Amino acid sequence: MGGAERTARKRRQQQLTGKQAVARARGGPDRKKTAAVIGVVLLVAAVVIGGVLWTNASKNATEGQTIPTVQPASTDYEVRRDGLVVVSGSADAPTTIDVYADFLCPVCAQFEHSYGDEIERKVAAGELRLRTHMVPLLVEKSDPPGYSLDAANAALLAADAGEFTAYHDSLFAHQPEEGKRGYDKEQLIQLGRDLGIESQEFADGVREGRFDDELTAEMERVAQDPALQQDFGNGQRGFGTPTVVADGRIVDFSDPQWLDKLVSENRG
Amino acid sequence: MLLAGAGTLARFGLAAVWLVSGGMKLADPGQTYVAVQAYDVLPHGLVGVVATAMPLLEVALGLLLLLGVATRAVAAVSVLVLLAFVAAVAQSWARGLSIDCGCFGGGGQVAPGETAYPQEIARDLGFLVLAGWLLVRPRTPFSVDSWLGRDRQDVTTIEEGSAGGWSGADRA
Repeated sequence: MGGAERTARKRRQQQLTGKQAVARARGGPDRKKTAAVIGVVLLVAAVVIGGVLWTNASKNATEGQTIPTVQPASTDYEVRRDGLVVVSGSADAPTTIDVYADFLCPVCAQFEHSYGDEIERKVAAGELRLRTHMVPLLVEKSDPPGYSLDAANAALLAADAGEFTAYHDSLFAHQPEEGKRGYDKEQLIQLGRDLGIESQEFADGVREGRFDDELTAEMERVAQDPALQQDFGNGQRGFGTPTVVADGRIVDFSDPQWLDKLVSENRG
Repeated sequence: MLLAGAGTLARFGLAAVWLVSGGMKLADPGQTYVAVQAYDVLPHGLVGVVATAMPLLEVALGLLLLLGVATRAVAAVSVLVLLAFVAAVAQSWARGLSIDCGCFGGGGQVAPGETAYPQEIARDLGFLVLAGWLLVRPRTPFSVDSWLGRDRQDVTTIEEGSAGGWSGADRA
């Protein structure tokens, strides 16, 4: 081993240790900092991706579902469609109420939950005649839009098929949320089938939107009808759902006894 | 020291605003969709996209502010988003819509007597002050930014930051 070779090796060693020293001084913390930045980027990416997945899952919760069927409190009365209104009960009933509701409106579902059975029992007892107006007020409020109109159209077709009350009650019992996916036409047809509506006419009517144009025109008319305008306070008036009308006047149903009072007034 | 304290408060304050507002919107996607739609400015196809993206943008801004990452950029984006919010509320007010801003969840149409446009705009202007402060003075203690030692021209803030922040621990 010559002296020159020894010096070269020594120099290599010195260079190595020099590099290592620099790496130790700089590389350690640098690697930590790089890792921290990557960690933050991954954290934000995970939150965003997770958030998109959660939002879509929540908004499309009705996808692939079968709408559960609900049996009405009573179906022992005549139900027939009169244009865009479904009339339940006898023409001889001393009291008639007109209910304006939208299948997507949460307060309408609450109204059905609170008073639906009581109304059906009174109709069955011959004390009450119910005129149900399904108005697509919230047609733009589902994503994709249109559930409100599709449901109203399907319910009118269900009336022609003789299953209106169960169909109507089932839709309100498992109401989709505003701003989310409603039920699509195939799900509405399946609900009909599950309630015993087998006719091709029903399925075709749902798919083609048989009453869509009439319902849309009726919605415009109803929104302008002076008799259906409610006071929202501050001198502002407008139409909202649900609206209940009896004897040409809007009924305040915030009193839980409103129906009893109404029926007994007309009885006595 | 006083400035550093104020900056930290602004950062954590704005982080809390974004995390709470974004979180509450995220918790109810249906309501958020209705709220965005109620402003009546976006074409139909964009309502869903904005309703999904807005809460996540807010949460992301909140997280970055909480950690103190890229504070100046995040503050700049916050200013833009808040200005957009103020513009959106102002146009609703000017057009006579009756909506709730849905700033912290909720939103959508309300009864005409129940709007609160001046309060909503005033609140956003308050948040703009926080974002504006951070845009001018992004360096604050207890932030990833100060630990990474960015923005070295702002020497005094770095020194203040390293006294109690992560950068102090790093140097020891």
